[in-house]
Amino acid sequence: MNRDMEEKLVKSLMILSLAIVVSSFFAVLVVIVWKGFPGLTLSMITKTPQGDFYLGGGGGILNAIVGSLYLGLASTAIAMVISVPASLSLQKEYLGKTKAAFYIRLALDVLWGIPSIVYGAFGFIVMIYMGLGVSLLNGIIILTMLQLPVMIRAMEEVIVMVPAELKEASYTLGANRTDTTFGVVFRQALPGLVTAVLLAFSRGIGDAASVLFTAGYTDRLPESLFEPVASLPLAVFFQLGMPYPEVQARAYTSALILLLIVLALSIASRYLEKRFRKNILR
Amino acid sequence: MSLKKRKDYIVGNLMEATSILSGLFLVVIALALFLRSMPILFEIPLKELLLGTTWLPSEGKFGFMVPIAGTLIVTLIAMIIAIPLSILSAIYLAEYASGKLRSKILPLIDLLSSIPPVVYGVWGILVIVPIVSRIASTIGKYGIPFLTSEGYSAGYSVLSGGIVLAIMVFPLIISITEHVFRSVPSDIKEASLSVGATRWQTIKHVETRVIFSGVMAAVILGFSRAVGETMAVLMVVGNVQKVPGSIFEPAYPLTGLIANNYGEMMSIPMYESAMLLAALILMLVVLFFTIMARLILIRIERGMANE
Amino acid sequence: MENNIRIENINAFYGDCQVLKNITLNIPEKQITAIIGPSGCGKSTMLRCFNRLIDLVEAATYNGNIFIGGMNILSKSVDVNDVRRKVGLLPQKPTPFPMSIYDNVAYGLKIHGTKDKNILNEKVEHYLRVAGLWEEVKDRLKSPASKLSIGQQQRLCLARGLAVEPDIILCDEPTSALDPVSAQHIEQQLIKLKKDYTIVIVTHNIHQAMRTADYVAHLYLGELVEYGPAKEVFENPKDERTKAYIDGTFLSDLNTNTEIVSKGKRFLKHPDKRQISAGVIA
Repeated sequence: MNRDMEEKLVKSLMILSLAIVVSSFFAVLVVIVWKGFPGLTLSMITKTPQGDFYLGGGGGILNAIVGSLYLGLASTAIAMVISVPASLSLQKEYLGKTKAAFYIRLALDVLWGIPSIVYGAFGFIVMIYMGLGVSLLNGIIILTMLQLPVMIRAMEEVIVMVPAELKEASYTLGANRTDTTFGVVFRQALPGLVTAVLLAFSRGIGDAASVLFTAGYTDRLPESLFEPVASLPLAVFFQLGMPYPEVQARAYTSALILLLIVLALSIASRYLEKRFRKNILR
Repeated sequence: MSLKKRKDYIVGNLMEATSILSGLFLVVIALALFLRSMPILFEIPLKELLLGTTWLPSEGKFGFMVPIAGTLIVTLIAMIIAIPLSILSAIYLAEYASGKLRSKILPLIDLLSSIPPVVYGVWGILVIVPIVSRIASTIGKYGIPFLTSEGYSAGYSVLSGGIVLAIMVFPLIISITEHVFRSVPSDIKEASLSVGATRWQTIKHVETRVIFSGVMAAVILGFSRAVGETMAVLMVVGNVQKVPGSIFEPAYPLTGLIANNYGEMMSIPMYESAMLLAALILMLVVLFFTIMARLILIRIERGMANE
Repeated sequence: MENNIRIENINAFYGDCQVLKNITLNIPEKQITAIIGPSGCGKSTMLRCFNRLIDLVEAATYNGNIFIGGMNILSKSVDVNDVRRKVGLLPQKPTPFPMSIYDNVAYGLKIHGTKDKNILNEKVEHYLRVAGLWEEVKDRLKSPASKLSIGQQQRLCLARGLAVEPDIILCDEPTSALDPVSAQHIEQQLIKLKKDYTIVIVTHNIHQAMRTADYVAHLYLGELVEYGPAKEVFENPKDERTKAYIDGTFLSDLNTNTEIVSKGKRFLKHPDKRQISAGVIA
């Protein structure tokens, strides 16, 4: 085959591949919206499951929505408090290029890749050791662990991009590490840090496997840290498993709600980053 | 030491402690899983565990072969689909696409990776499973090895699992591969183009050598991610405890084993230990592949820095 | 106390490449000393030895003695942050911090302990006036510094540097990134400041040196080739190379020059997103 033909052929294959990849995104979006939208009533998002909800009766998934929010917000907040200093400490002035930093980064990479069900299994062990039953608290602990590697890694990527001249300018004034890190680096990296937090939050609320064993499920709104709590992914999963088409249809709607939340977060973080970019250098 | 200096020192130490503890976490998880799977490791020899095909916990039989095979087959199918599509897309984005196109498409691919697995599962059930069922009934009767399908297939199969998994893995492989291609130094590309080679020839003959290990790392990471995906695969793969003989047959992945049986863990002795062993196996696989991929990427970066 | 700089036998290396060769030089106080010479031959490096900013560059090593006002700044007992306070640096590219104009100037004061609002206000205004920026920004002190023009940003950096009350001001090609009007502004400010500060300007612009300098040092390929009062050096250069530089011609050993330039510049590459680098500044 002469080389021009080869070039054309390969190029078309590439475009085809890209088209497949991109259209799969739209395929998912369109189908979920199409199937889930009809069920998106006000009561779905404002009521908890009433008596025969799982047989097709009334109510909504407010329990799961609020449950996911509690789980997500708490775990993300805790993870954030740990991740910010941790990621800042990986700079040159602190652990930077030491052997310790190498192993920490490697460990975080592995932790980031570990399937959430393994976190769930680990959470199960924690649960037994700490004598906690299946509960909101347990779920929060596991989701925090799940989000930590994602957050630290994403934050570090932004922190590394803070221009060296900026740090230099601070040191020139006689500032020390702490001054420079919290006075200048943190502010410069802030938009990226926020994005990292949103990214981790997204991953947290979307995850089912880790909360499966550890947070349980319930039809009630979360009332105590020590009781099981509902979550959106599990709401989808359980409703889908019911043999009634009306209930399954609700599963699609629940999936839509979850998808919308996650997409909204993604778009919000992109927008925030663009907006903040104006206030910081380069 | 002045007060300021002392504060700097203490704050620095606290910060470093948080990252060290975060890293040590990996060790904690590994240890916990290992310790709790020990009971079963003592009871039953490893070989029997990994290669045994019977799973009857009530009789003390814990053969992991079926789930392991299930995981491997689904992952293999997913990789066969994902690798060519991802790499071709990534090359196009890195080498041919205009800046405008890239800036529109890359975020989209990124969004793919933020979709929760359970949503992929639902979509898989709605779209992929019926399609596979249709394909199975048309092709299945021809008796092609691995593509057979006796009777009616509802579509819950390793093929469905593979397709859904592939889509979930696209963003990972594409982003790393695209990055690797973009970091090929332009002088190499220019040198090739200036002797009259086409873009594709340049890529095929010149760049491939340079980026090979980077792409391998991307594939390894994609594989590792695919192995561990639970929810989405569970929902479309059929959950039948059999090693599938054809792509249209259902299977029972390792992750499914854990997810399905967590409720029964407490009732039978050894059961908990077996489940945690399964989790440990998954973790070790991911550990191994991630370290490999990371080492490859580091070697590449070091190589590039030395130019 | 004197505020001169006296360096003896300074050698500096980036990895294996020697960038400063046995430099001995006396920089008199309260004068403007210009350091001239072709690009990439160690001028910036030398400057960064004076405030020990070079300590932040991993690949760089140096030895010798540096005395500022009689005190050896390389001795172990010296607090490097104090040195940096005393010796200010105005870099080539303006680098305002990602904060308001006010906060930029106040930054140095705050990190060195000034908390009183009144004092801060007073000093911010004072140094903005000294830098010749006050009139243009007095109504928008709280707006982001990134919104200023480049010339204004550089004057802001000057104000910021002066606010920590150094004795010595180092300028690394302070106007090369600016338009002629802003450049003139900065030059005029520096001339005014000479009566209170010891000033060292690194410049590759002979005319700028001629306009501003009282003393001139010529650094060529890492060696101190000539030094003396400005008038003498410009009108009657004693060294061939100085004469050639001033006349705008290059000697035939352009090869060696480019080699050092490219080796030196390699170590000055900024980290790209995936931390690919060899020797990073700060």
